[in-house]
Amino acid sequence: MKQQEFFSSRWTLIIATLGIAVGTGNIWRFSRVVAQNGGGSFLIPWVIFLLIWSVPLIIAEFGIGKSSRLGPIGAISKTAGKQFSWMGAFIVMVSTGIMFYYSVVTGWCLRYFLSAASGNLFNTTDHLVYWNDFSAGFQPVIFHLISMLLVALIVYRGITKGIEKVTRFLVPSLLIILIILFFRAITLPNAFEGIKYFFTPDINIILDYKVWLNALTQNAWDTGAGWGLILTYAIYMRKKEDISLNAALIGFGNNSVSLIAGITIFSTVFALSSVDAMSQVTQSGPANTGLTFIYLPLLFSKVSSSNIINIFFASIFFLALFFAAVTSLISMVELATRTLIDFGVVRRRAIIIIASMGFILGVPSALDMNFLLNQDWVWGVGLILSGAFISFSIIKYGVDKFRREIINGYGSDVKIGKWYNYIISVLIPLQVVVLILWWLISSASWDPEWWNPFHSENAGTCIAQWAIVLTIFVLLNKKMTGKIFNAD
Amino acid sequence: MNIESIITMLLVAGTVWGGLLFFIIKAMKYEKEKEKLGEE
Repeated sequence: MKQQEFFSSRWTLIIATLGIAVGTGNIWRFSRVVAQNGGGSFLIPWVIFLLIWSVPLIIAEFGIGKSSRLGPIGAISKTAGKQFSWMGAFIVMVSTGIMFYYSVVTGWCLRYFLSAASGNLFNTTDHLVYWNDFSAGFQPVIFHLISMLLVALIVYRGITKGIEKVTRFLVPSLLIILIILFFRAITLPNAFEGIKYFFTPDINIILDYKVWLNALTQNAWDTGAGWGLILTYAIYMRKKEDISLNAALIGFGNNSVSLIAGITIFSTVFALSSVDAMSQVTQSGPANTGLTFIYLPLLFSKVSSSNIINIFFASIFFLALFFAAVTSLISMVELATRTLIDFGVVRRRAIIIIASMGFILGVPSALDMNFLLNQDWVWGVGLILSGAFISFSIIKYGVDKFRREIINGYGSDVKIGKWYNYIISVLIPLQVVVLILWWLISSASWDPEWWNPFHSENAGTCIAQWAIVLTIFVLLNKKMTGKIFNAD
Repeated sequence: MNIESIITMLLVAGTVWGGLLFFIIKAMKYEKEKEKLGEE
């Protein structure tokens, strides 16, 4: 299959890829994790893992996608060998599993934006009841449907007319909104206390291994490194496009947005909270919704004495959140669609299948928060394996060969040195092993029935669901490979 | 703000935002060079 569509320039590629990386996790998850891990103590390892996890894996994804011009299954097969197509299929499963419930989360953001813009959000004083009324009803299904249809329509229009055109508007708009909120937040009285907390390191906990592991998982989930999404967009990068400099721009750009969002949220919480600010930031609530959907609406009602100004700031905050969610959801739908295209299905048909599947399989998450929590847990942790499979495929291909021929090959602006070989072949596998072991050990300590696959958040449920899909993919390995390369 | 906070702020924000600015400038430079060389 000859590649016919490409991102029209370096900047549109970067903006679209930044849209993958910048998601709701930058805005709500980052602040919560910083607060739970001692502020400045967390930020130092977080920067280190940007350099030794996120950027090297983004480089890897760009390289694999650009050189193979295939979605994750074909790309891993082409890079690591045809007997490893199942690894690519697992990467697809993880991102698609996330897509099912992420569309629900996108719907929540849309609903809260509409509520904020209409002023309805401020008609209540008890935002927990407001949230519970909304999430327990049928509305999440409707907003999930709207989100999925909207994103399917964008992906249906293809790369240049759909994804590029939309992200070129959404990503800069999101950044402008965040900068407006940032300046409003840091000029609030007492905001400085929040900034001080945000950057103050606690020397006693900086050596705590949990802080380092949380910094690594935040980078893994936040930058989109290892998801296979960047790999999918890289299929559409022009041959003369650079890899390493673009990857650095995505990694640093994503973490820059997290810093802006973190300072904004800490400043707002410390400036406007009449109760213990820290307990509010760390409170996760159901499915980590506490800060964003329960506490922040309350804070927005206190930004000024004017209701119109409060409505304005609350509206643009939820609009930014919605934009961030949409740009990430687009890449997840494109990944699943591209996988079907690789199997020989035409884009139009592929998107209809994916959108229908996405809606139907997302409905349980829209109706039941425990189901959403379970899926978030199972596929969120699965991202560590996805990252490991990407790293493994490069090791199989030959790290030095990959670096010389693909990363530093035609189109590269910046040549990267042998340090990259060391990171991919030693540091990333080491990080994966340590992370998985830590996760298994800590799972056993917080849940005596850690092996039980029917619990919503434990090791057993992950292992059971991964085992089922991995068994199916290993059995179908030959068939999948044959279909992709025959269609190719 | 104590000295540890100031150092952390400079280190973290300096690396992340400074790094981003550095890479943007570098990318713009390379794009300009490519344009000069007559590439589209």
